[in-house]
Amino acid sequence: MSILEVKGVRKVYTTRFGGNKVEALRNVIFSVEQGEYVAVMGESGSGKTTLLNILAALDKPTGGSVILQGNELSKIKESQIAAFRRDNLGFVFQEFNLLDTFTLEDNIYLPLVLAGKKYEEMHGRLEPIAKQLGISQLLKKYPYEVSGGQKQRAAVARALITDPKLVLADEPTGALDSKATDELLRLFGEINLLGQTILMVTHSVKAASHANRVLFIKDGEVYHQIYRGNSSNEELYQKISYTLTMLTTGGDQL
Amino acid sequence: MKHLFYPKIAWMGMKNNRKLYIPYVLTCVGMIMMFYILAFLTASDVLATMAGGDFVQNMLGLGRGICLLFALIFLFYTNSFLIRRRKKEFGLYNILGMGKWNLARVMLWECLIISGFSFVLGLGSGILFSKLAELAMVNILKNETSFSLSLNPESVLMTLKSFGVVFLLIFLNVLRQIRSSNPIELLHSENAGEKPPKANWFLALIGALCLGFAYFLAVMIEDPVASLLWFFFAVALVIVATYLLFMAGSVTFCRFLQRRKGYYYKTNHFVSVSSMVYRMKRNGAGLASICILSTMVLVMISATASLYVGMEDSIRNRYPRHINVSVNADDPDALEQSGVFALQERAGELAARQGMTMDQETMLNYRSIAFGGYVDGEVLRTKDPNADKPGISLYYADLWQIFFVPIEDYNRMMGQQETLEPGEALIYSTKGTKLEVKELSLEEELTWKIIDQAESFVSNGEDVMSIVPSLFVFVDNFEETAEKAWKLTNDSGNQAVTYKWEYDFDLDGKDEAQIAFQKSLGETADQMNLSQQGIRFSCAGSAENRSYFYGMYGGLFFLGILLGIVFVFAAVLIMYYKQISEGYEDQSRFEIMQKVGMTGRDIKKSINSQVLTVFFLPLLAAGVHLGFAFPFVWRILLMFGLNDQKLLIFVTICCYLIFALFYTLVYRITSGSYYSIVSGKKGR
Repeated sequence: MSILEVKGVRKVYTTRFGGNKVEALRNVIFSVEQGEYVAVMGESGSGKTTLLNILAALDKPTGGSVILQGNELSKIKESQIAAFRRDNLGFVFQEFNLLDTFTLEDNIYLPLVLAGKKYEEMHGRLEPIAKQLGISQLLKKYPYEVSGGQKQRAAVARALITDPKLVLADEPTGALDSKATDELLRLFGEINLLGQTILMVTHSVKAASHANRVLFIKDGEVYHQIYRGNSSNEELYQKISYTLTMLTTGGDQL
Repeated sequence: MKHLFYPKIAWMGMKNNRKLYIPYVLTCVGMIMMFYILAFLTASDVLATMAGGDFVQNMLGLGRGICLLFALIFLFYTNSFLIRRRKKEFGLYNILGMGKWNLARVMLWECLIISGFSFVLGLGSGILFSKLAELAMVNILKNETSFSLSLNPESVLMTLKSFGVVFLLIFLNVLRQIRSSNPIELLHSENAGEKPPKANWFLALIGALCLGFAYFLAVMIEDPVASLLWFFFAVALVIVATYLLFMAGSVTFCRFLQRRKGYYYKTNHFVSVSSMVYRMKRNGAGLASICILSTMVLVMISATASLYVGMEDSIRNRYPRHINVSVNADDPDALEQSGVFALQERAGELAARQGMTMDQETMLNYRSIAFGGYVDGEVLRTKDPNADKPGISLYYADLWQIFFVPIEDYNRMMGQQETLEPGEALIYSTKGTKLEVKELSLEEELTWKIIDQAESFVSNGEDVMSIVPSLFVFVDNFEETAEKAWKLTNDSGNQAVTYKWEYDFDLDGKDEAQIAFQKSLGETADQMNLSQQGIRFSCAGSAENRSYFYGMYGGLFFLGILLGIVFVFAAVLIMYYKQISEGYEDQSRFEIMQKVGMTGRDIKKSINSQVLTVFFLPLLAAGVHLGFAFPFVWRILLMFGLNDQKLLIFVTICCYLIFALFYTLVYRITSGSYYSIVSGKKGR
């Protein structure tokens, strides 16, 4: 069953004085199945971030619809959208977006506290996740005291602790060095094997090569997609590189 | 065009940061205006020629000094805040190829532009308002003046010089800051990771103890002299305690809350408490300053306003009747023999001749024996009983002015029918004291059984002027007491006791007529050759002294208002800058919280409650300080002859309410800019 269906999403930005219209997304159609690990690729300005914001219900599409587990996002009331986001979606950002006023532990608890959960329950949920992500020893530290990779793992823990239907990751490796990148991608793979659906927006070929499926966006449309099939990461890497070359050098249709 | 490059860059820099610079320039303008007005009034001829004017001008001169010192400290503080905010911009200039020397030139231009603006506007409005201030001043002093705008070149020059130095110092400080920085640091200075504040139990505890002790002093010390001595100590304690509590105490309290997991991990508390820790760490000092400034403004204005409003009462206390004759002698028999009592008839004749009538109902007419003495248990002594003991008593806690008054004089004036058996007496003590004794003796000579405390007695100028309380003993053996007291004087060999006759009455004439009457009464007394008989005669009139009272209390009140305005100015600006810096800090948090699943409404609610707490905590604390300062203020005002406690309470509460209203208004206005900053990035 599809967990996420994106049907003909269109997004037009109007400049402030209403003069110019910029079409960021033209007609995006795709769906994500339960337990999938999907990477969305595209160059800067191709509309990746706009798409992610729409999927996250942070922004509304101009046309078309996004359906997450049977709920159409644009039909959810404004007052419930935050709660919906909290319960169904987990976010991992390029810039980690950890609050520097909280310890890592409190940062991870944040969505649960907002949902009004008890401390004992939160603590019970945190333990296995922290262990899996290897941050059990760091929980009492503050963001400024740990490395980028550790911060990102804490951010992943925060995304996972609500047990979301879908984890949305926006360039999760963008601010990490190569070692931390490898580590994070390995963790994403593990989490996905445990059944977590992940949608990752990236322009790193390496990051995309860990996914099961890669979507390419160009000029506001899904232009192409590659399934992993039985390929290894390296083989997928090759395929993606090839596709990207084709995209940039202007092959009209693959 | 090249020579316009630096001024242009400076101008652009300020224009782009107008949110920061406009209030700063306004403050400079305000400070210069205040300073000029104070300088103008200090040099004003109109004031100088008024009764009590020289006293007022001395005080205004003092106020001018305080104003300048405050302006220096405060503008320094504000300016360094501005520079901190702009360091990133400087770093960028630096990287783009501007050396420190070029930056210094830009800053020089900036400084010149700001000071030029401030001087033109400040002096302009100063000159405009100085006449208004003079009119207000003259009005407060109940005098009249012509309405003409005047300019005092000397005061202008003085303002230019004083603030020229202030601006120069500020500029040097800016240079120092530019010199001691490198470009990379400049670029990143705003993003430096902030260490989480640590709870400092020790400092918090010391703060709490200091505050507790200061409050304890305020409430427990009932003796007026002691309270005057302890007042400044208590003020210092409260200042220290306020800083400690705002800086360390608040953080410690938040940390304590965080450790209580059941409380902390609640939607409402979680974000608020953890952010408050940082907020209080960053703003503790500023908020403590606001709190102390507010308290000072409130104490100053409510005290001076009470004095001013209650001035007629104070005059009436100091000079109980319109004309106050007081006759003193060192010898108990001198009064009777001199025939000074004949003044009663003379005064009546004089009044009739000048077409005035004496009010017989309110007339005060009593004899007394007075000396400064010590209450040593149940014994009244003329000498300090502890004088020869080692470890001298530092406080005059047991020093009193003691008066013996015949019971018949008491009955006559108070309309009472008290009868005393031989060896019995009534007592009454002033300045809110109450002497709980069953017996009283005068050294070893005489002993009275105290049968009751009198509820009140007429106001006595000497008591009002004195800082120590007075004890009135109403006795039926006045003559015998006089003799024994005389013997005491002789034994000790120094003049300790005075025999007095107080003769005060009201007249139904205007102030001028009363002053004329007072003069002729004095002349009449002179003809009686009293001084040759060892008698000191004095005659004081409330009419004659009224203008001095107005000069003194009115001047204090006026100065209180002016300095109050300056302090409020400062508090407002601190508040505004706090809001702005809070806004920039909160901007990114706002975004993250929204992404993690907090609704915009929740965020706004949470931030709102935090900001409210941060800004109203000082107001609240100032209220508590004011409440505890009240007994102190009351006792000190007692010494100024203000006896109306209800008035003081009323004025204090009014001042607080007006201040709170003003504070809220300022908060409302400045919080607008806060929200515009916080939500600025959102609409991306």
